[in-house]
Amino acid sequence: MVDFCPDDTPELQAWRREVRGFLDENWPRGKVFDYDYDEDESRWAEATEFWRKVGQKGWVALTWSKDYYGLGRPPIEKWILQEEFCFHGAPCYPVIGLAVANAILRLGTPEQRLKHLKGIAEATTWWGEGYTEPGAGSDLASLTTRAHRDGDHWVINGQKTLGTAAHHCKWMVVLARTDPQSVKHNGISMFMVPLDTPGIQMLPLHNMADGQQNQTFFENVRVPADCLLGDEGQAWNQVWFGLGGEKLDSALPTPDLHEWRVIRMLNEVIRYCRETRRGGAPIADDPIVRHKLGELVVGVEALKLMSYEAYAVAAKGAGGRGAARTYLHQGYYKELWPHLAQTYMEIVGPLAQIQGGRWARLQGEAERYFRASFGNHAGGTSQLKRMVLATRGLGLPR
Amino acid sequence: MAIDLNFNDEQQLIENTAREFFAKRSPPELARKYENSEEEFPRDLWREMADLGWLGMNFPAEYDGLDCTFLDVFGIYVEMGRTLAPVPLLDAVALGGALVARLGTDAQKRALLPRIAAGDALVTLAFMEADGLYGAEGVTLPAKKAGDGYSLSGVKLLVPYVKSAERLVVAARTGGTSGEAGVSLFLVDPNGAGVSAERTKNMGGYPLYAVTFDGAPGELLGPADEAWEALNDVMLQAAVLQSAMVVGAGERVLDISTGYAKERVQFGQPIGKHQAVQYLCTDIAIEGQLTRLLALQAAWKIDAGRPFQREASLAKAQASKAAAAMTFAAHEVHAGIGFMIDYDLQLYTLRGKHWEYNLGDQRHHLELVARQTEEVVPAWA
Repeated sequence: MVDFCPDDTPELQAWRREVRGFLDENWPRGKVFDYDYDEDESRWAEATEFWRKVGQKGWVALTWSKDYYGLGRPPIEKWILQEEFCFHGAPCYPVIGLAVANAILRLGTPEQRLKHLKGIAEATTWWGEGYTEPGAGSDLASLTTRAHRDGDHWVINGQKTLGTAAHHCKWMVVLARTDPQSVKHNGISMFMVPLDTPGIQMLPLHNMADGQQNQTFFENVRVPADCLLGDEGQAWNQVWFGLGGEKLDSALPTPDLHEWRVIRMLNEVIRYCRETRRGGAPIADDPIVRHKLGELVVGVEALKLMSYEAYAVAAKGAGGRGAARTYLHQGYYKELWPHLAQTYMEIVGPLAQIQGGRWARLQGEAERYFRASFGNHAGGTSQLKRMVLATRGLGLPR
Repeated sequence: MAIDLNFNDEQQLIENTAREFFAKRSPPELARKYENSEEEFPRDLWREMADLGWLGMNFPAEYDGLDCTFLDVFGIYVEMGRTLAPVPLLDAVALGGALVARLGTDAQKRALLPRIAAGDALVTLAFMEADGLYGAEGVTLPAKKAGDGYSLSGVKLLVPYVKSAERLVVAARTGGTSGEAGVSLFLVDPNGAGVSAERTKNMGGYPLYAVTFDGAPGELLGPADEAWEALNDVMLQAAVLQSAMVVGAGERVLDISTGYAKERVQFGQPIGKHQAVQYLCTDIAIEGQLTRLLALQAAWKIDAGRPFQREASLAKAQASKAAAAMTFAAHEVHAGIGFMIDYDLQLYTLRGKHWEYNLGDQRHHLELVARQTEEVVPAWA
């Protein structure tokens, strides 16, 4: 039965109030922290403190099994929590620990779960991403980082790049080819690598939105055998696809804080247009601005509903068609985001380029958002998502 | 189950039945046959739809209706859109009938609703005037008190199915000059004194008329001067169903386009292998999906008894955009063959233009969205 209301019981409504109360106490409403576009130490420290408090409540691991640091709560509570986090403007959980946890919960041995999930649940251990290579971006399966077995260890050699905030991380999940004869998607394995292992060198890459990504070099990096996650050579199907093909975290998809930043940003734009006068009238009275804002509202509302649908589809345990829908959703988001950023700059006008000080509009927020929107390729470009939608979803030839 | 975008079993059964019914009884050839037809629409098909109970589904049970919800009928509109079924369900039931059901006296309802539900009478809305506006400011045609009743004079455009209609619901002005106050609705006999109709040839070959009222007698439907709120609600609700039709048509346009892209070989390979062509196909899929989600949300809001006006405008703004964008992309995929009148795509393109305008185009609804949006909030809020 069609229904868009997640909290249909007094218990769930009370849960929403509890989450809201926690947020009001622990994070100033609307305070912005984007881990992927921020290198300010004090802001990182604030966000880290916030997530540790979330972790102490057990809410990072809300839906995980009680056997592994979780609270064993139903997925709908996670949905409600995420919704509240989004509309409050709470920061995203830094980097990809939640995705790693999802993979470990699905594929890890009991020992691996006990070893790694605590640090993620308590937000004491940040995890970085070691997928992309200089020669393997959208075509990730062409990666050349290798790992070979040597007694009780794996030895990793190769180079990863564009690792968002990896220098803040203690651990990294690394995709490496373990079968030297293999090509493409076969023969790739996933390793959980402590970043203080000898042979790892990290060099900074600064992105145009004030964030740091990193190049990570692996030279004869020896990690114990239990660093392999899932089956040898099966990472593409078991892990990577699990990360890319589903929304993060365990159980069911929820609002993605990263993606739903477009809602927060659009609300900022609307408020700015209502409160700011130009040429003697509020900007919001300009018919062209109204048209553009209306278009953005339609787009953002539809994007929001795609998340509701993702949850509903997953709740029904639907498979094949759902996957195509996921690519449509991701591709659409990746195009809407920069469109919103461009429109924001257009609306704010020439003063939008001033980055700070008394003459800046919105303390330079529009231009920061504009710069960040060129990071929309993370996790695969919109072109890639459309190609997969066309071939896998619409059945067009590859 | 709290977040759910699936129809319930009954609604799914209705949609499945409708899909089979229209595929079999009203393939696009039928729409082609009824382009510019004197007969206006296929009576036998309409009768079959009446027998299935589809014409009175949203009417109250006491007037031979079925007390159904918008989500119950949503699937029928999707499927009508898929095959372009040339029947006046939107015009005569979702608009004309719904206005009688919402505003009529018991006598008016008793006189019209059971006969609409049985397929014996049509009531259609005469709204549009020469300015081409869908807001209250578009209603200027004056209705003057005359004895016990009212007398209407002026011209209405794009009035559907006038020749078949037993009554027109005419939006007229009894007070004010352009605001919401002063708008009234009247039942007018299109074959009665003071009414003349001229069919206006149009892109989709629809039975649309310019109707001239010259002192035509009108019977008040609903409150004098204060009909705007109800009229606007019903038009917005119908706009959601028009959006559902765009969803169905879009799915068919996508099927036609991907089917062609897989088969058509140029440069030694199917054109669907070219990413430029794949992009066009994904444009259709994306626009359709946006429309489906927004229309579904609006229907849910209507049925839940929540304010739905903003959500209806979100849906129709998107549906209007999609109707144009999806057919445009499909023509880009097809090139020459899509331009040919014997090929079905043009049927969707030309009717799509009517649907894009009908009950408010993108510009109209984006303005309504802008007016009603202070901030974006969760779907349930």
